[in-house]
Amino acid sequence: MNMHDCRDRSRMIGPYLDGELEAAKLMEIDEHVSNCETCREEAQLLCATRGSLKRVVRGPAPSGLRERIGVAMAAERARENARADAGSFGSTLPATTLGSWRTIVPLATAAALALVWGAATRSAPQTAGEARAGLVADDLLAELVAEHSQPLPPEVDAKGVRRLERYVGVPVRTGNFERAGAHLMGGRVVPFHSQRAAMLQYELGTGDNVQRVSVLVYDAQKIRVGTATNLAPREVGTAEVRVGREKGYSVAVTERAGVGYLVASDLDQDKSAQLAAMIYDDR
Amino acid sequence: MPLSATVDASKRDPFADEALAHLDAMYGVACKLTRNPTEAEDLVQDAFVKAMRARDQFHAGTNLKAWLFRILTNTFINKYRRGGLERSVLDGPDADPLADGWVSASTMRHLRDPETLALMPLVEREIQNALDALPADFRLAVVLSDVEEFSYEEIAQIMGCPIGTVMSRLHRGRKLLQRALYNHALALGIVRGEERVGPARPAGGRHDGAEERETSKAANLDEYRARKRGAV
Repeated sequence: MNMHDCRDRSRMIGPYLDGELEAAKLMEIDEHVSNCETCREEAQLLCATRGSLKRVVRGPAPSGLRERIGVAMAAERARENARADAGSFGSTLPATTLGSWRTIVPLATAAALALVWGAATRSAPQTAGEARAGLVADDLLAELVAEHSQPLPPEVDAKGVRRLERYVGVPVRTGNFERAGAHLMGGRVVPFHSQRAAMLQYELGTGDNVQRVSVLVYDAQKIRVGTATNLAPREVGTAEVRVGREKGYSVAVTERAGVGYLVASDLDQDKSAQLAAMIYDDR
Repeated sequence: MPLSATVDASKRDPFADEALAHLDAMYGVACKLTRNPTEAEDLVQDAFVKAMRARDQFHAGTNLKAWLFRILTNTFINKYRRGGLERSVLDGPDADPLADGWVSASTMRHLRDPETLALMPLVEREIQNALDALPADFRLAVVLSDVEEFSYEEIAQIMGCPIGTVMSRLHRGRKLLQRALYNHALALGIVRGEERVGPARPAGGRHDGAEERETSKAANLDEYRARKRGAV
């Protein structure tokens, strides 16, 4: 056996011990390990490390933590019950003025145009303090809604949207909106102030029933859309989003791992919040 | 699974009971993620409350533990690691190319405690430090596999990455651990040799500049392999 074979096989010792090899490979490595002293040592060392890791990591949670979490979970359940009783499930917002959309387009079968604005890395203004940042955020919200209400045609098709990343400097994820019946139409780079954003365009539905939603993806370390006072926090499942309205359109903002996503849509706030939550949950 | 009897019985909830059965495991991994016991408590609490809120999304009969760990991981990334951009959080820096360890393995035989199938207590203390020093994605993969014994597929779901990425993170994480333990053992005088720091040399190159002991070891290996070739 040559050195190369042994090195290749030694890579498989981990999966071998983890029980992740298919039968044929397992037998091959099994035989190799029983014949090769070096690989056997490697396997034994891995086992020893694993045993020690278990001892190091495992242990009881601090006393009191279980009770504290139990109470927090019960409180969460009580909050839900209270909301359900009040008939305003999950909402921390006043009744939306876009309520009529709900009757026009039931969400489950909704046809909508979703624009995902896979967007922008924006440098924070060099001189900006918190107050200035808030101002910019509101400007941004208005600009995004303007882009949403009068969209320019896409520059790239659905397959090409990731190419926008190089212009905007953050991952441009399209969001798994197909589950909501939305189809990615394409995207474009959109200028904001001195920075760039990428706008991705989705469609939901056909004909007169087309609905549109817009999402900005941005560097949340540099842009603080979520701090705008006209956005209220809301929790959708495990996702944390902020929702609000701008010029008659609903907007929802979420943040994940330093990347912000802003959804603007023709839909109601619940739907926008759900779309934002889908981005948040999608990994 | 026993639950604390001090939780108000009227507030008991089957889902909460079932979820809290995984509290110790969640806390252990949270400690490794945050490297801070206080933050770990907060992280675990956040994750459980989110699980409670989203319990309708959990399909009974599927793997609750993996689902909870996914929420834990997501919560950690979103809340506690907000400092970094998405791509840099779980992808981590590219590790040095690592030796495949098969030369040093017999050296590291000395690290094992023959009694317990674990490492020598002196070395074991170091494993905590070595684990904490791993990049977050390697650390998580190693803990999920070696401690919690999730399958690769489950780890892929929890970490939101392909199985191939899981395997690579595991392999590299374990190699980094071994290297740290080896250097520790070296410092303690348990093994003799030279410190491994940068990218490991290719196996054949071990003769270059390696100290005498290593050279003779490599020679012994060649001899060993030659013997094997003859025997097979």
